[in-house]
Amino acid sequence: MFIGAIGCEPLQLARVHLENSRSMEVYRRNGGYEALKKVLTSMSPDEVINEVKKSALRGRGGAGFPTGMKWSFVPKDSPKPKYVVCNADESEPGTFKDRYLMERDPHMLIEGMLIAAFALGAKTNYIYTRGEYKYLIDIMDVALDEARAAGLLGERILDTEFSCEIHTHTGAGAYICGEETALLSSLEGYRGHPRMKPPFPAVSGLYACPTVVNNVETLTAVPDIIKMGGEAYQKLGTEKSGGTKLWSVSGHVNRPGVYELPMGYDDMEKFIMEDCQGMRDGKALKAVIPGGSSVYIMRADQIIGKDVRMDYEGLVAGGSMVGSGGFIVMDETVDVFESTKNLTEFYKHESCGWCTPCREGTDWLVKVFRRIAKGGGVPEDAQLMLDLCDNIEGKSFCPLGDAAAWPIQSAIKRFPEDFKKHLENGLQ
Amino acid sequence: MSEQLTQIKPLYQPVDIPAEIATFPPEIEAEIDRHLAKYPSSRSAILPLMFIVQRERGYLDPPGVAYLAQRLGLRYTDIWEVATFYSMIHTEPIGRYHIQICKTLSCKIMGEQKITDHVCSRLGIKPGESTADGKFSVSLVECLGSCGTAPMLQVNFDYHENLTPEKVDKILDSLT
Amino acid sequence: MSTELIKVTINGKDFQVPKGARLIDVCRENSFDIPSFCYYADLALQASCRMCLVRIEKMPKLQTSCTITCTDGMVVTTQSEEIEKAQRAMMEFLLANHPLDCPVCDRGGECELQETTFDWGGLEERFTESKNYHPEKYLSPMVANDPQRCILCKRCTRVCDEWMGEQAIEAGGRGAGTVIGTYLGWLNCSQCGNCIEVCPTGTLLDATYRHQARPWELSQTISTCTYCSDGCQMSLGSRGGELMRVVARDRYVNGLNGEFLCIKGRFGHPFVNHEQRIRTPLIRYKKGGKLVPATWDEAIAHVARKLDDAADKHGRDSIGIIGSPRLTNEALYVLRKFATELVGTANYATSDAFSLKWFFANLGGKLSTHRDIRYTKTILLIGGEPEELQPLTAKQIRQAVRNGGAKLIIANRVPIRLVEQASQFIHLRRGTEDSIVLGLLGTENDQLILEKAGVTQKELDSLRTTIRETQGDLLVMFGSELSPDAQAVIGQLPYLLASDNRRVLLHPLPLFNNSIGAHDIGWDDGAMNIKQMLDSAGGAIRAMYVAGSILPAQLETREDALSRLDFLVVQELFETSTTAHADVILPAASFAEVDGTFTNNDGIVQRVRQSIPPVHQSKPDWIITSQLAAELGVEFGFNFSAAAVFREIADRRPAYSGLRYPLLKDETHPIQANYPLAERKDAAEWMARIKTSLEDAEPPSEKITTTPEVGHELFRIGTLTDKVPQFHLLAAGNPRPETFRISPLYQITVDADLRRESAAVGD
Repeated sequence: MFIGAIGCEPLQLARVHLENSRSMEVYRRNGGYEALKKVLTSMSPDEVINEVKKSALRGRGGAGFPTGMKWSFVPKDSPKPKYVVCNADESEPGTFKDRYLMERDPHMLIEGMLIAAFALGAKTNYIYTRGEYKYLIDIMDVALDEARAAGLLGERILDTEFSCEIHTHTGAGAYICGEETALLSSLEGYRGHPRMKPPFPAVSGLYACPTVVNNVETLTAVPDIIKMGGEAYQKLGTEKSGGTKLWSVSGHVNRPGVYELPMGYDDMEKFIMEDCQGMRDGKALKAVIPGGSSVYIMRADQIIGKDVRMDYEGLVAGGSMVGSGGFIVMDETVDVFESTKNLTEFYKHESCGWCTPCREGTDWLVKVFRRIAKGGGVPEDAQLMLDLCDNIEGKSFCPLGDAAAWPIQSAIKRFPEDFKKHLENGLQ
Repeated sequence: MSEQLTQIKPLYQPVDIPAEIATFPPEIEAEIDRHLAKYPSSRSAILPLMFIVQRERGYLDPPGVAYLAQRLGLRYTDIWEVATFYSMIHTEPIGRYHIQICKTLSCKIMGEQKITDHVCSRLGIKPGESTADGKFSVSLVECLGSCGTAPMLQVNFDYHENLTPEKVDKILDSLT
Repeated sequence: MSTELIKVTINGKDFQVPKGARLIDVCRENSFDIPSFCYYADLALQASCRMCLVRIEKMPKLQTSCTITCTDGMVVTTQSEEIEKAQRAMMEFLLANHPLDCPVCDRGGECELQETTFDWGGLEERFTESKNYHPEKYLSPMVANDPQRCILCKRCTRVCDEWMGEQAIEAGGRGAGTVIGTYLGWLNCSQCGNCIEVCPTGTLLDATYRHQARPWELSQTISTCTYCSDGCQMSLGSRGGELMRVVARDRYVNGLNGEFLCIKGRFGHPFVNHEQRIRTPLIRYKKGGKLVPATWDEAIAHVARKLDDAADKHGRDSIGIIGSPRLTNEALYVLRKFATELVGTANYATSDAFSLKWFFANLGGKLSTHRDIRYTKTILLIGGEPEELQPLTAKQIRQAVRNGGAKLIIANRVPIRLVEQASQFIHLRRGTEDSIVLGLLGTENDQLILEKAGVTQKELDSLRTTIRETQGDLLVMFGSELSPDAQAVIGQLPYLLASDNRRVLLHPLPLFNNSIGAHDIGWDDGAMNIKQMLDSAGGAIRAMYVAGSILPAQLETREDALSRLDFLVVQELFETSTTAHADVILPAASFAEVDGTFTNNDGIVQRVRQSIPPVHQSKPDWIITSQLAAELGVEFGFNFSAAAVFREIADRRPAYSGLRYPLLKDETHPIQANYPLAERKDAAEWMARIKTSLEDAEPPSEKITTTPEVGHELFRIGTLTDKVPQFHLLAAGNPRPETFRISPLYQITVDADLRRESAAVGD
């Protein structure tokens, strides 16, 4: 499986192929912890936040919220302790980038978190990792021990006034805990139900204290932003989407893997057909889900010859979203009805059950899909499913409802032929 | 003389208290203490501790729940409501080797069905079932973050990727 | 909420509302109805049912009005096509997995899901798939459960957590497989049944009333509970002369308790129509002989003769009159009138040993109401155990702490369950509760308190600091452990501890539904208390007229007292240890069969209303007494009207001056009695006596460290609760049945003789 950068120098993936890449020694030999030193000796917390703002870095977990702005929401004068929580609950189908970041370059995440903790005044920080990634928690614990032993973690880091601890924390198999408020509920030891916003976590989050929750890829971008400066980072990408993005490519391409592309990479067709070495077995491209299962599915004819730029604005213009960058490529052998059914079952299984539309709606949708798959579909089912999706979208407590509705809405609208052939079989 | 707020334990429990409370050797207790030390609130350690209890006892049985309730100062129902929320915590017995085959989209379109059929025919059980001797359980699970090396499965916590039926045979043979 | 007004536009109309008001409340108060399930006043917000969606200008998505606080200039739409579609959609989702059980579901006819469907739902249900299956079962002897009907509004889990502090019932599982339940499936909680009451569907149902009646067949009568002194308002549902059930649902009654009731209030009613109710007057013509049924005329004549004899032979004072603190004010008043005006005896008392007369004699401020408890800033609880003995008070305390940020200080010899909510627990040695009163007012006695009560200086300082720093109401509650002198000091606390920023409210914790009423009517003025009267039986007291029964606790160690009497007449519902010695038993009517009033521990006077006619040949207590008086030649002149009795009470007892039944008609506006306040007095003498007692005391140095089991008082088998079969299961420890599919009553047999050990509190 490929791991590397295309169209730019690798930033996040700079060290993944080095021997012993996860050891601190290798990290330091290759520019590691330079950014931390720079921050602790010559920058103020506000300056750090400013650099991140200038970098136009946006949350890489899927929401795409400008990171610098999120950090600036933390009230500086609050007497409560602050927390930085790294969201390593990577569960969005099609996404596996955080896994390799933590597996191959754990110290980059540690350095990023330390810089974030400095900028926000956080003393204790957690890496919430999904339970299935246990081996990564072990790797991260070893790396944290290395950092501690070298005086890069704990009391008086690098002999400055800054003290900070980072702990790993395990999830236990719940996609919903990737949502930041549900993550905080889970981290506090409760069921992983999302919480009302406002209050936002930056004001009242973990243990009702100001908390910033950031994705792994967001935090690992921070050292490079400090080293090269926010402006330079932003210039690697586009005006509104700075820097590089990791795309987790899977499915029917010849070379699946983790690809680091500059934001605004031109364009998606080239990416699939050249960089990922094209379609397997000479089959034709049929559909792409570019940003993890929750985004709109794209037809081949929305990509081929359409110059879809790979950044937040470009994908929206192209008919989908960047999301988490979980890039699933499907060829003509895939029945989009089946693929959508598969994803709907995922959302039903992962629905936390808190609110009516998502809990009942995903359950209902799965039952409809199963009935159709068994041959009991009728033409009205398409409209029924669209109605149910409309009734879930925008009315659920958290975005999981929307995430469940969008794949179905886009699949029915863009691949009606795949649905029609199932729906006309019923009533027999 | 009462020195401070008199700590009266145990917490009132509105359910039948399991007769037995699990006990663990000192090294496990030390491991548990290390986890508890990470958080300002002991309740946060509930998931790491559940994994430890599950690992030591096979699954989260009533004595294990009793232990957690006592250790964390919580009610049994608090433990239960958290345990039943998460897919990886088992309050019913589960096989020694839990074979979790990813069934989500990328794995599915890359041949998961063939792998599942092979595993099930070799073990003689269907997804969701366990072998009679309690050695294997098979489950179909959601995306495990290994889409680039699909199809794949996880045995307890170990990833096995880029699967073929032959590789599956090797894996099953190696599980003693 | 501030008093500043802001402008909010709803559906095109402008309104001035208090800043910070909740949008859903504002809409409803202005007649824009908004459906909701999970929103419930004073419970944690959920925003999970998504029924209350409205459109707010400048906010991108539809918003749940239950979570929105109004801001100036907010423009809201609650009625539009978009919103109607959303409401119909949410109803369609809720009804998707909901079984079509209405014909067999007890909730039918009072079901919020039914009503919201009629008002807000669509005409069509498109769900034609199979519904998720869960078997119906029992969760406890009192709670039946059909999980398929659940809409996961979580009201039940929230009331169990926030009202009761028990967290017995919770949601387990995830997604569409979430079910409400408890670990290992059997609820061993206080069985209050509040989860049943607040459930908007038929998921949690009253197992004792299962499949017995339809709500529209029942006539609903608002009355007051006959058990503890909190005086919860309830709706008695009866049909054909039978009391079928008791509820507090807000469509029937809206009293100071809201929808809250405890196990006794909610499930303790089967005694009313029980087969063991005494049917006719009974006369035992010879000591040791059998009881023979008689007519009322015969019985009254017999009693009158015997009382006359006793008065002639041994004097008027040889007749002792004992009233029950469970009787209505009217019954107690007429009985006391009989004692003082007709018989002319000084020997009358209630059968309750816990007297509040020193407290009331020195009362320097008003009693708190239950509403006051919720909004108080500091609560000091000395002795007592409200969670078992006054559950509504305990619920208000918990909500004050949780939602109002109140500080709760508990001073008790036992680590009661409420300690969980306390910010400070002062663990005392046995019998040293008075020391807290000593320590409240100054530090001079601290050394003595530390030595005798086994507390630290830090604890006393912390107590005094919390009180001093209270900005708002300071509420002092106390139980029966305090001495008369300590009670007197407590009564004076509104003078001694109040300040500009701090009001002192008082809340005594008597045990019975009309303990306070008994005091108010004057039953504390008797020459002897109950124990003294029993000790004098056969000596100074030769005959007794008892309304109600004497508590088993009083009869312990005095078993032969009643047998020493020449004559004993008892008005009662059932045969008890008292009637076992009676020469005449007169069947009395229960609280569900009479009109009258009870006064609760707030001093609030509330109506008791007749729901069914008196069963068999029983009569209301006060009518029996009036009939007896007439036989003895004195017409009381009430002419069978309880209102007339109450009018005389109001004229004769200063605290009730001006009250009439019409004023008490509305349970949503309860009226507090107007207690005459004592002037400020010098507490030195009381304090000196408390100090001396404490100096002489030798309490065991080892403290009680076991928290009492839940239900150790609530499940106690007494005369009334004995008649509820489920109470016997609970008193036997609520054993887990083999299957939850059938009621445990059919699976477990409990020895009829099972009684909990007697203690200071009785029936």
